[in-house]
This record gives sequence, C-alpha cells and structure tokens, in this order.
Amino acid sequence: MSAIVVENLAKRYGDVEALRGISFEVSRGEVFGLLGPNGAGKTTTIKILTGLTKPTSGRAIVAGFDVVKEAAEVKRSIGWIASEVIVDDELTGWENLEIQARLAGVKNWRERAAELLRYFGLAEAANRLVGKYSTGMRKRLEVAMALLHGPEILFMDEPTVGLDVGARMGLWEVIRQINKDFGVTVLLTTHYMEEAEELCGRIAIINKGRLVAVGTPGELKAKYGVDVVELEVSKPVDPSKLSPFGEVVVLDGRVVVKTQRAEEKLADIVKAVDGIKSVRVKKASLDTVFINLTGASIEGEHADIKRLYARVRWARR
Amino acid sequence: MWLMLVAQPLMWIVFFGNSLAGLPRGFLAQYFGVENYLAYMIPGMISISVMTMGMFASMSLVFDKRLGYLKRVLTTPTPKSAVFLAKAAGAMTRGLLMVPVILAVGAVLGVGYRVNPASMAMWALGLVLAGLGFSALFTIFTVNTSDVHAPGVINNFITMPLMFTSTALFPKEFFPQWLRVISDFNPLTYITELGRNALVYGMPPDIKALLAIAAFAAVTITVGVAVVEARLEAD
Repeated sequence: MSAIVVENLAKRYGDVEALRGISFEVSRGEVFGLLGPNGAGKTTTIKILTGLTKPTSGRAIVAGFDVVKEAAEVKRSIGWIASEVIVDDELTGWENLEIQARLAGVKNWRERAAELLRYFGLAEAANRLVGKYSTGMRKRLEVAMALLHGPEILFMDEPTVGLDVGARMGLWEVIRQINKDFGVTVLLTTHYMEEAEELCGRIAIINKGRLVAVGTPGELKAKYGVDVVELEVSKPVDPSKLSPFGEVVVLDGRVVVKTQRAEEKLADIVKAVDGIKSVRVKKASLDTVFINLTGASIEGEHADIKRLYARVRWARR
Repeated sequence: MWLMLVAQPLMWIVFFGNSLAGLPRGFLAQYFGVENYLAYMIPGMISISVMTMGMFASMSLVFDKRLGYLKRVLTTPTPKSAVFLAKAAGAMTRGLLMVPVILAVGAVLGVGYRVNPASMAMWALGLVLAGLGFSALFTIFTVNTSDVHAPGVINNFITMPLMFTSTALFPKEFFPQWLRVISDFNPLTYITELGRNALVYGMPPDIKALLAIAAFAAVTITVGVAVVEARLEAD
C-alpha cells in the first residue's frame, strides 16, 4: 500500500494557480523528494498533505486517509517539520516536547521523549531554554518533536534551509537514520540538487504548479540530463554550424550548446567555431536536469541561460 | 507586559478617579450611592480591565500565525476550536490577575469595601464568563488576519464604545434615553453592576445580571468556535 497517493491535486489562491493538477505516489519506507524552483508549488503540496489547507480540487490519501474527509486521522499519522525552525524559545527542550505531546495527544510520552533526546544528542541540553540552542540543535529538537507520536510519514519542507554545511550534513544523516531506524516514510521538498541526490530514492520535479518528471535521480539524469558546452567567443557565431550537436543558445559573446556525451563531441564543436576564447563543459547532473526541465526550453522560449543559472544560484542561497 | 497590565488601571484610578473627588457628598450619595467616587469606579475599572485584556487572545493568535507556531499546532490532531478556547482562557486569566491589583489600589486610596459573600461568588463567576466572552469577541474579528496592528485597532473599536455606553464610569441616570437603551444591551454594564453589588453596596446577587453575562459568553464563544473552525488558517 502506498504511503501517499496524490491525484490531480489543484490549489488556487484567488487568481493564482499554485497547483494545476499534480499526481504522484509515494511507497512506504521511501524518501521522496519534491524538487522545484521557488513558487513551483512545493510548499502548497505539503500544506495540503498535512491538512494545513484544503485543495481546490483533486484528492490526496495520506497513510490511507483522505486529507480532507479524515484530516484528524491523517494528522495522527504524520509528523511535520517546517523550513523555518518553529519551536518555543521561551521554553526548555523538554517543555517543547511536552507541549508537542499534548498537542498530538500522546499519553505516555516521557519515556519516548527521553529516548529521542538521547538519540539526537540533546539529553544534556533538555532542561536548557531553547532560545540558547544553536540552529542545528533547534532543528534536531524539531525532528524529535515531529517523531514523538511515532508518525508513519514525515513531511519536511526545505529542512536544511539556513543551516551551515556541517549542520546540513548532520541533518542528512539524521534523515537517513530515522528512515532506516524508525521505518518512517519521508517526503521532503528542496531546491538543493545535491540534497535531493544525496537523500531521495525518487524525485518529482514540479514547475509552475505542474509535475514535469518523476523518477530516481539516475533515471532523471538519463532521461532529461543534458551536457552543457559553454563557449566564450570573440566574434559572432552562426548557430546553424552548431545545431547538429544539439540545441544552441546564443548570448552576447557566448554560445551554449545543450548536447549528449559532450566529451566526445567537444573536439568537433571547437573546430566548428572560430575565435573561441574559452570552453566550459558541464556534465549532466541533477542541476542540468533541473535547468532543462524548469528552465526556458520547457516553456518553449529561448530565455537567457545566464538568468537561469543565476536563478538556480539564487535559489541555492 | 506587567507594567502595562498594572499601569493602565492605575492611571485611570489615580488621575480620572481623583478628578471627580471634589463632587459634593450629597450628590455622590444620591446618584452614585457611595460617598467616594473611587468606590463607585473600582468595580467599573475591573470590568474594563478584564475586557481590555481580551485583546491578548487575538494578539496571541496573530503572533502564533506570524511565528509559524500555529502551523505546528494545526498539523496535530488538536482542533482549531481548542486553540481558540485556549487563547480565550489565557486572556481571561490575565484579566483576572488584574482584579486583586485593582482592589488593592482601591484599598490603599481609602476605598472601604462593603462585601456581600454570595454576591462575591457570583461576581467571580461573572468575571470568568465576561473574560471569556470579551476574549472571544476580540478573536472573532481577527481570525482572518496576521496583521499585528489589527488587534490594537479592533481593541479601540470594541473597548471604547463599550466602555462609554456602560455604567462602568457613570450611572445610567446621567444618560439620555438612547444611551440607556445601549447600556442595557452592554455586557460591561452587567458585569460592573454585579461587582458593585458584591463589593460596594453589599447587596445580594443579581441573578439576571449573571444570566446576561452568561448569555453574552455563550453567544460569543459559540460564534467564535464556528468562525474559527471555518476560517482559521495557519498563515
């Protein structure tokens, strides 16, 4: 049985169509990633699946329950972690867990809370005010709070935003561990490619409220990955000379060729153009899949590649 | 927080209360039923404070939205109405905390209380109901907003008219006919009169006043629960 089934889910906020009918399934025990640029509809999807908002149309089944008709049962079966750390700074770690236990209706929570605090290395800090915790500790406390009632499915909305490299890798480890140790299905959203590649068994890429691809990172790379050859040139280039190699985008002073097996074609590409100042090759990765699927080509317009890269770089900050 | 809690009634009592200290005794006795305006004013001030503190219910809810904490709550099976009732109960508690403070200020300023125990018990119950009712009323108007200024604005639109159309500060005998009508529908009037009976006049409890407050609380809480279940969003 699937942990999550989403069918034609759509959400409209006034004039804005945040989701335009997406469908996907997540199996039990999977770590599933929702990938997309800012505003793609990732957070809206999580909000619907966690019962924070109702879909305009479509259906979603989480842990076997309908998110609209059986919202309370869904909420008993899930844990949720926000992109911003949401804990009460004026309480201790232990008190935060107590409130979570009461909100979630967990009766015998003390033993499990103590166990979770040990598991996440917070036992020593349990009675300190959370306001004094480091960001990494607060995030771990939040994960402990989300696991307190033993959820089947954990939703993590951009879990590593704002964490330093060490804390981020620590959290990756935590996500892998809880998936393994507690058998928790994880659905996370991210716009970090390497995070998706590192953690997720399968990935769904969404863009402008539509699902554009689903698969394992390997499948996505094989299917949608393009190698990018970027040439810096001193004089104008006739694109038709390069078009046999793949899709060509000409910018001022630069030419970008989207191709396959770039290393084999590189010599021919360089021969076909005069006045090359420099050459850069970017091999297919989830990055190029992402650009390929959410960038200009999918909208049928040859947009400025530079802007696309900038957008990705910006999204990574 | 505490400064605001204590300062506001203190200013009213010390400055406003004393501005009427010079009224002739006979006049006070005839129209206010007391020899000291402060004694008349103290129960009114307590009512006003309990009402004003209701604002904290909606303020707390707005901040929970702002800080995202409401999302944490609403991803658990805890119903929205429980959040609403908790906010109302919290603000009511803040209101009740003011009662001993104001009573003490009155005593220090020389108000002699004439206490009727049965009335006191009923007044205490009335204050709990009024606190819940006012908190619910404030929250109903700010369920849909996450604007931190909204509770303050709503506060003025609710507390000012209710305060001046009630008998919290002046007796009904001073009012023109239309104001008396409004005053008779104003919950603040009833909780104030309940307090005056218990504390100043030493009179037996007025069941009708308590019922009026109970009705007010029942209506605001019922409407509030319905509105919150239908409209409250996490952000």
